[in-house]
Amino acid sequence: MIKLQQILGSLRKLNIPMFACMIGLCVTGVMFVYSACSVREDPDLQMLYMRHAEIGLIGVMFYFMTLCLNYRKIMRWAWVFYLASLALLVLVPIIGSEQMGAKRWVFGVQPAEFAKLAMIMVLAWLYGGQHKLNGTLLYLATGVLVGVPSLLILAQPDLGTAMVMVPTTFAMMFVGNIAPRLVWGTFLIGVIAAGTLLGVIYAVERVDMPQERREALISATHLKPHQIKRLQVFMFPDKDLHGSGYNRRQSEIAVGSGGLRGKGYLKGEQYMLGYLPPSVSANDFIFSVLAEESGFIGSVTVLLLFLGLIWPGLWIARCCQDNVGRLFCVGVVTLIFSHMFINIAMTIGLMPITGLPLPFISYGRTFMLTMMLALALVQSVSIHGRKPETTFE
Amino acid sequence: MIYRGQKLTDSWRIALLAFLFAAGMVYLVMSLHRVQVVNSADLTRDQVRQSVRRVQVPGARGRIFDRHGICLADNRPSYCIAYYVEELRQRGQWQRTIDAVDADIDRLAQVLGVPREISKERVALHVRASLPMPLLAWSDVSEEVVARWAEEVGAFPGVDIYVQPERYYPQQSAAAHLLGYVGRDRPKPLPGQRTHFYLPEMIGKAGVERQYNDMLTGVCGGRLIRVDARGYKHAVWEGMPAVEGDDLRLTVDLKIQAALEAALAGKRGAGVVVDPRNGEILAMVSAPGYNVNDFVPAPSTVIWDRLNNDKELPLINRAIQGRYAPGSTFKPVTAIAALTAGAITPGEAIHCDGVFKLGTMRLRCWNTYGHGDIKLRKAIEQSCNNFFCELGHRTGYEPIRIVATEMGLGVKTGIDLPFEAAGLLPTDEWKQRNMREPWRVGDTCQIAIGQSMLLTTPLQMAMLTAVLANKGRLYRPHLMLRDGPGECVREIHWPDATINLVRGGMHDVATSGTGRRVQIRGTQVAAKTGSAEYDSGGQRKKNTWVIAFAPFEQPEIAVAILVEDGISGGYTVAPLVHDVLACIFGETPLAEGEKGPAWLMGRGAGD
Repeated sequence: MIKLQQILGSLRKLNIPMFACMIGLCVTGVMFVYSACSVREDPDLQMLYMRHAEIGLIGVMFYFMTLCLNYRKIMRWAWVFYLASLALLVLVPIIGSEQMGAKRWVFGVQPAEFAKLAMIMVLAWLYGGQHKLNGTLLYLATGVLVGVPSLLILAQPDLGTAMVMVPTTFAMMFVGNIAPRLVWGTFLIGVIAAGTLLGVIYAVERVDMPQERREALISATHLKPHQIKRLQVFMFPDKDLHGSGYNRRQSEIAVGSGGLRGKGYLKGEQYMLGYLPPSVSANDFIFSVLAEESGFIGSVTVLLLFLGLIWPGLWIARCCQDNVGRLFCVGVVTLIFSHMFINIAMTIGLMPITGLPLPFISYGRTFMLTMMLALALVQSVSIHGRKPETTFE
Repeated sequence: MIYRGQKLTDSWRIALLAFLFAAGMVYLVMSLHRVQVVNSADLTRDQVRQSVRRVQVPGARGRIFDRHGICLADNRPSYCIAYYVEELRQRGQWQRTIDAVDADIDRLAQVLGVPREISKERVALHVRASLPMPLLAWSDVSEEVVARWAEEVGAFPGVDIYVQPERYYPQQSAAAHLLGYVGRDRPKPLPGQRTHFYLPEMIGKAGVERQYNDMLTGVCGGRLIRVDARGYKHAVWEGMPAVEGDDLRLTVDLKIQAALEAALAGKRGAGVVVDPRNGEILAMVSAPGYNVNDFVPAPSTVIWDRLNNDKELPLINRAIQGRYAPGSTFKPVTAIAALTAGAITPGEAIHCDGVFKLGTMRLRCWNTYGHGDIKLRKAIEQSCNNFFCELGHRTGYEPIRIVATEMGLGVKTGIDLPFEAAGLLPTDEWKQRNMREPWRVGDTCQIAIGQSMLLTTPLQMAMLTAVLANKGRLYRPHLMLRDGPGECVREIHWPDATINLVRGGMHDVATSGTGRRVQIRGTQVAAKTGSAEYDSGGQRKKNTWVIAFAPFEQPEIAVAILVEDGISGGYTVAPLVHDVLACIFGETPLAEGEKGPAWLMGRGAGD
């Protein structure tokens, strides 16, 4: 009985707006995955939305199971989750299955998505833990803890997922005030590096120079050819509208032709006529489908739903009475914001094309489940984190 | 705040993060506003531009009728077997789709039992260049094939019957040269609209079809096709409907046309029947002819080669393009010129001894024994060469040339048909330039009897006849029936005595002279025969003519008929003119026991 009372008590403290927004995003996701896949010929692909809905329901089950648990107990096992996801990541290149030129799946899941959550957990545990490690040591530990999985993810290759860890880690270190000088130094170096890279791309395109030097400069960046192309498309959107710039262009047309009110549900033309490639319209470019069919009103609604996750998330962090919970919430919120921002900015050409899904809306089962678990833990922080831990050992 | 010896992280840091996220949100909303609201119209236009294809659909071509409303050119539905490639689309490379369509055409060819009409290259071209349009695998198939296809329709998805209008000439070969024929080509682009595809339009290539093409052609409509990213048809909606072309009513009388064609059947030659009161062309025939329907939808190479290589040149419209010396049919012109110039009086006789001598030149009269002393009217009746040579010599070339020009020779008549020839009315200057020889008196004498360099078209001679018939009014010949009087090009004022004398001579020609065979019972006819010698591979041959008008007092009909390589105008052509006139005016039947004139049986005199 006590157990049941505890659970009911937990549920009463549930952050309703956050839960409602998550469900709202999931429903939107199912709707538009249905829309995007309705034009596919393969019946399995047509039923993609069902699998999206299934994983949503399973996710909600896990959500409630997880939020009843005290996050403090879970966080103690953070390093176990971390090692487990690392092990899965190592397995990917060995026994993983390949789809569209990238090896990302093992046992039907994408370990990279789990790894993101595990990294946030282990960093929260590390920064908020009761130890006397100094800043430099923490900085180095962060480098290893984030660097090793990120390199494995980059090798898949999955630049987007690896990239999204950068703002997340920075945000957590910033809020935790870990090694401020080193962090800011790294940040500056990062900005300079990115600036230099874009400068090189610009120079190769616009400055008059011999062909060999062009090639030498390109190879000096150590980026893959398709990544160079994406950056070129980002900087010079009109360069290659039928080649590497095609997706960006078609996505922009889709979003723009939606107009204020959109064309109506199931009436989007860009994906229906295949201008928006069907291989990406259900996942990375789902926002284009959504924006075309529901217009500016729909896109802003989606942004507001995300705001309904981010704002309570940060509020929970502020109200939390211990650093592990605080930093974990900050990490999860930053991860969600980064995903959303990069994905939407990419569909309208404000960001280079990276294969980053839009949380809860893009089709991607591992990612969906991971995100739900992450939010469940945030809810757990909301429920259990208001009071300091009272344990009598 | 201290918790278990640990300092809690600063809340302002979280607030700053919240501020950053909010700023990011605002930035996204602003950017989305720019794309979805501000630039929406541009991007929508870009989307339409990349996915909408405009197809030009020609309007139905107008029909052509004769003056009584009998249809001469119509449209009929032509059944084509069309492939809609989007139904047979294959994933992956285009070649796979091309192969699939190609294989399907082979399969269908076997089922239908008809040979393939289009090559694989054609299929490939279609897939690459005009994917959303139907691919016509077989054009204009028979009903039998359509029926066979209908039985097998289930086995061939993506194949359908496509109906397109095709030209049809119900009167078969009648008036073939006059009507001309159509080909198919790209329709005229609509102003201010970019079109991607078009259905080929019928375009007049010759004859009336060419002359009145703009009128017969309707205004193209537009059809919009939405295509997917690969170019396959996704949806079609009709835009602007096409406007039908106007019908055309000709001055031609199919009954007379048929009679003239029957008269010229099996010969080489041409004939024109014109109404001298207004210049309306009632019939125009060039023989040998061809069946225009063989040219639909396009002349097969076999037919085209046969017609093109035929020595008898069936494709030429001899009535307006053939240039022939008019021979003795020119003599009325000489007579008028001489009378006008005062070179002779009606009562003055000239002696004919069978041969005309001028310097070293000898010109034989057809009557070897000569006509003796002969006056003008009789000379026309008997077509005496001596008389007219001498007359020409007396008159001089210039007055003859002026009268001939006035009567429409040497220039195009301006008929509403393309490719008309002007004939040739030579001048001294022309001869100097083209033959590097000065004008000789002999030339004048030759031209006075319609020989030498003089060249006319049968149409010109018909118009000249009309001028003689209506006493001096040259109308512009025309084929389009319109209200009101004909367009008079020139009104020539001859003294009544002059024109009546010449007409009287022509009347005598038909009654008792060289052109007796034109006579029809019940109507008075005036005529003039002619034969112009020409050299054909060393052989002397004759182009034989008859010009005639009737009824004599109030002429309603003027005819000119030419037969190449005939015996003589009076013998070869006059019976043909008789048949045509009989058809027009009717011929009172012979009374019981009465016999036709004896000369109808035997070979007649010359011209």
